[in-house]
Amino acid sequence: MKTKKLPIKIVTYAVFIAVVIVILFPIYVTVITAFKSPEQSAGNFFSLPTSLYLENFKEVMSDENFGYYVVNSLFVAIFSVGLTTLMIPMVSFSIARNKERKRYYQFLYAFFVAAIFCPFTVLMVPVAQLCGKLGLMNQGGLILLYAAFALGQGVFLFTGYFKSIPLELEEASKIDGCTLMRTYWRIVFPLAKPMTATLAILNTLWIWNDFQLPLIILNKSAKMWTLPIYQYNFKSAYTFNYNLAFASFLFSIVPMMLIYAFFQKYIIQGLTAGAVKS
Amino acid sequence: MGVTKNMKKLGGKTDLTYLALTVPATVLFLIFWFVPLLMGLHYSLTDWNGLSSDFNYVGLQNYLSVFTQKRTRNALLFTGKYSLLLVIFVMVIAMLLTLGLTYVVSDKMSTFFRSMFFFPAVLSMITVSLTWNQIYLRVLPALGEMLGIDALSRSVLGSPKTAMWGVLFVNVWQGVAQPFVILLAGIQNVPQDQYEAARIDGANSWHLFTHITIPYMIPTINVAFVMVLKAGINVFDYIQGMTGGGPMQSTESAGIVIYQMAFFENKAGFASAFSVILLLIVAVISFAQQMVSKKYEVGQL
Repeated sequence: MKTKKLPIKIVTYAVFIAVVIVILFPIYVTVITAFKSPEQSAGNFFSLPTSLYLENFKEVMSDENFGYYVVNSLFVAIFSVGLTTLMIPMVSFSIARNKERKRYYQFLYAFFVAAIFCPFTVLMVPVAQLCGKLGLMNQGGLILLYAAFALGQGVFLFTGYFKSIPLELEEASKIDGCTLMRTYWRIVFPLAKPMTATLAILNTLWIWNDFQLPLIILNKSAKMWTLPIYQYNFKSAYTFNYNLAFASFLFSIVPMMLIYAFFQKYIIQGLTAGAVKS
Repeated sequence: MGVTKNMKKLGGKTDLTYLALTVPATVLFLIFWFVPLLMGLHYSLTDWNGLSSDFNYVGLQNYLSVFTQKRTRNALLFTGKYSLLLVIFVMVIAMLLTLGLTYVVSDKMSTFFRSMFFFPAVLSMITVSLTWNQIYLRVLPALGEMLGIDALSRSVLGSPKTAMWGVLFVNVWQGVAQPFVILLAGIQNVPQDQYEAARIDGANSWHLFTHITIPYMIPTINVAFVMVLKAGINVFDYIQGMTGGGPMQSTESAGIVIYQMAFFENKAGFASAFSVILLLIVAVISFAQQMVSKKYEVGQL
């Protein structure tokens, strides 16, 4: 039921366009400044670049460790998401099928889901201590931490999902003589694909963008940094050359814009599901 | 007899497989979530500095100090004020966008606006903070010069009076996106025929909103509200990326103080106590949310 009143329409469209401008303004500034030399920016800040000036990008990438930042970010994201995608459906399947009849699984469910309510700040100090003691102040430690912290929301979403999947297929496979392990890999895991995709997208966004955890775990040497930490730490290095700063921001904004352009529907679905059900 | 035995054997094996499937997640969770949680609770009862191997137990002294020391008390007050403002701005804006998109804008345009409004949610908070930091520092003064507005040349983040608002604006800029799509999903559950019936009875738009839209959306509003509230209580990236807690500690949130104390000021025990207080606050809010959700679910049946 849409309104037919013209004044309301005009005001709404005007406000919406203003909001779009506010949202795009930083993106516009980032793009034009990244493609301009400091002199051009000093001349007119808001004008479009007149030529394709790529020196800022070259200089950002000439950082001797730049390759490490990109590879570290990719490595951590791929392995953490891979680990969660394997582990969470497994444990959630067990919980969903046994929760009603066994205390242990009931308890396990509550235990995992409790993590949703735990702010990261509480774990910040002890996690740094623990990883230090275990020799895990590195990418490996970070991957294990992400996999562990993803469990709360993941188990919550997946257990609900498995409960909604009918049991007939599993039972048929059991009657055919398949072991539970085989049934899981051949029937259950493939059936859970939509949820697996949702969770993988949610976790990829979170891990790729995360700042707080790598800030405390990967601070031993610059070679360990992920892209967000690199951007943060070079804040001061760019004090006098903000064109460089904007170029470095673009390295993080553009991949996300592309992912958004291709997977918008799934991202919105995922983030809505992740929030509404918890 | 033999068949039952076989079945039992198979059942036992199945149970074992079920158990095996839980092992990797459980082990990981115990080591990297539960153990740290216990460690944090333990630290909070000590005067441990985070480095040395010896410490003393001080009971609940740290917890009391959080409320009596000026810096931590200010951080608590700042976090409370910040969260409240964030919730108000984000919820009002998200609701207005949802209403406009659903009841005013044409279907074709609403797809465009929705993808625009949601876009900030996919960016990293730290990149957004650093970008806006540069905008406050360079772009707004340049804009002020161009338009001849003096006020813009003053640095928003540089003054203790305005810094919080500068951070808050950026948080709202990005933070509206997710509650907005949640409300948008929720508003689809409002039954259209109720509007028509009420219209016939002579109700105006405000009545429709307060008597039909809001009541039907309460469960969704509740979810979005608590999500934003938690984001406010845990605010860290925006502040670390823009002000680092300054100027003159005027933007120190609980998260920032805990980070500073634990990693730079050798007060790991004290910082842990502060973080446990934060955990308790979030737990109480989450519990209240569950209660509200339950009540409305029952109410609707």
